[in-house]
Amino acid sequence: MRFLAVSLRKDWGRVRRDPSQFAIALGIPLVLAVLMSLVFGRTPAAPHGRLLMADEDNTIASARFLDGFHRDPLRTMITIEKVTREPGRARIDRGDGSAFLLIPKGLQKAFLMNLPYQLELYTNPSERILPQMIRETLSITVEAAGHFRRASGTPLIEVENVAVHEAAKPARSFAAVFLPSMLFMSLLFLASSSAVDIWKERTQGTLRRIAASPVSMVSYLAARVVFVALVYAAVALVGLVAAQRLAAMPVPNLPAAVLWITFVGTVFYLLFLWITVLPATQRAASVLANLTIFPLAMLGGCFFPFEWMPGWMVSVGRLTPNGWALSEFKTMLDNSVDVAHLAVSTAVLAAFGAVAFVFVARRIRRGFAV
Amino acid sequence: MIEVDRIRKTYGDIVAVNEISFTAQPGEIFGLLGPNGAGKTTTIGCISGLLTPTAGHVRIMGHDVVREGTAARRLLGVVPQEISLYDDLSALENLKYWGGTQGMRNPLLRQRIDEVLALTGLADRAREPIKQFSGGMRRRLNFACGIIHQPKVLLLDEPTVGVDPQSRVRLLDLVRAQAGTGTCVLYTTHYMEEAETLCQRLAIVDHGNVIAAGTLTELRALLAEHDLLRLSGVFRPDAAKAALQSVDHIEVLQADESLLVLSLPEASRRLPAIFSALAAVGAEVRGTNLTQPSLESLFIKLTGKELRE
Repeated sequence: MRFLAVSLRKDWGRVRRDPSQFAIALGIPLVLAVLMSLVFGRTPAAPHGRLLMADEDNTIASARFLDGFHRDPLRTMITIEKVTREPGRARIDRGDGSAFLLIPKGLQKAFLMNLPYQLELYTNPSERILPQMIRETLSITVEAAGHFRRASGTPLIEVENVAVHEAAKPARSFAAVFLPSMLFMSLLFLASSSAVDIWKERTQGTLRRIAASPVSMVSYLAARVVFVALVYAAVALVGLVAAQRLAAMPVPNLPAAVLWITFVGTVFYLLFLWITVLPATQRAASVLANLTIFPLAMLGGCFFPFEWMPGWMVSVGRLTPNGWALSEFKTMLDNSVDVAHLAVSTAVLAAFGAVAFVFVARRIRRGFAV
Repeated sequence: MIEVDRIRKTYGDIVAVNEISFTAQPGEIFGLLGPNGAGKTTTIGCISGLLTPTAGHVRIMGHDVVREGTAARRLLGVVPQEISLYDDLSALENLKYWGGTQGMRNPLLRQRIDEVLALTGLADRAREPIKQFSGGMRRRLNFACGIIHQPKVLLLDEPTVGVDPQSRVRLLDLVRAQAGTGTCVLYTTHYMEEAETLCQRLAIVDHGNVIAAGTLTELRALLAEHDLLRLSGVFRPDAAKAALQSVDHIEVLQADESLLVLSLPEASRRLPAIFSALAAVGAEVRGTNLTQPSLESLFIKLTGKELRE
């Protein structure tokens, strides 16, 4: 604890002497929020999204039911992703998708035997245009099915109008849809630049001097991590308040959101520290960090929101540390946190960070510092 | 007290340090002298616990640096070859931090900071960021950070590299003063004159081996009062060597087409005989340089090359 205070005082002294890097870290989310609100204002998002579909009937009739979505212009605007009932409901409740269509078992039978039947459509309240288009398309399909039955001389099928559910959630602006991604992208870049600082310590010999002192590498690294966590907390606070005020991004629980960003930012820092101490030269370390950051950001929903990405890419992206953390963050913004899921995510990310911490401490002690 | 017992450090097939042994006592300045790449910094790395020796042991005041690393490092002060300080911090902030890494607290820390700032002549500039300091001032602060906690053992790795003559004299005085307080000082350098004026005992290192060790007097005795004579010109090495065999007690240390390095007693008196012998085989002498017995001549005698090569 004594060394922690000494190290924090030193790091804060360095920030005071050269505040540019800290100012940039704080400024990135602020600038993003300002730019987003200037460019997109608080208007709804452009129409492009994903229809989650659970087909429990799994018949020819249910397959034909979605034909309308495979034709232009809907084909280019809506990606259909097959899911099952419960995960589909959970995802649409988290705002992950434009709508969730449930086709319960019995559609084909109802069609042939003229039985009452009901489709269920759950729409994302944060989107307006796409859910409306999906609803209209389904209504047309249902009506067309009715006409078909009339023309064939059999009694009219009484497929009821689509039951539409909408959770009572506030609509989110385009900027609010994008900002979490942008915020996480800035976290990744901040983690990368903070991690490269270890090379500066190595080059100027201070790391070597620390290694020759009674301070253990674990203590040294822990003090660094605490300082970086404090920086992330400041960045999170500034970024989230700016996002709230400027871009109308809903942040129902600000302390929890700040805590989460601080936590995942620290894990990102450890990840990049791990990557940075692997190579033999600073140049190679920078190249490796850049080679890592771009695919991670792309896949993990930090360049483009998951809502805009193809289904397969979303599946992969959610497995990246940033994608995982971002998904949880969005549940916080939607006030739909699944505590058990959050606990698992926290445990996995913490374990990941702990492994990186141990590796980095060993690597510094066994050669990197010298 | 430092006890280095047959330490060996290898990197794959490369032997950086090959079974080096020596001891240094409290109050003593022990020098490790050798050219760049001789293994001095690797030896310092093994002693400070930065590197784990492949074989052998190092003990600091009886504590093994591998098995009792933390206890050993508490007794150590290290002044690395490079300026290992935070450029963006002031001298005061650097001293507070490095003192803090040694577990020092106020008021002792504050008192020691005042002492070392006065000792190194930096008290007036203590609050300035050190990126505004001259090279000599940074060197002195580098030294101050190494002695802030009054270590029992001080390792100095070429602390005067790139320093102006005035700062060098001041730094050497600081080292002597530190040894005067009973600190055991291990001083590595490739500057012969520093080693001669500063160290009570020396080990001369080359290619990871100690090639000679002892007090200055003992080492000079190895030369048997031989002078070192360098002749520059145009020579046929084999012919020159053969011709010089006619001169008594002469030893050819180095012979190539432009330089002859000879070791012999009373060289100045015997120059005419040497010139005659060389002229007889067609050699053309264009310059001479005569050096009294010194560590440098010993190094050349032992290794056949200049210390600064």
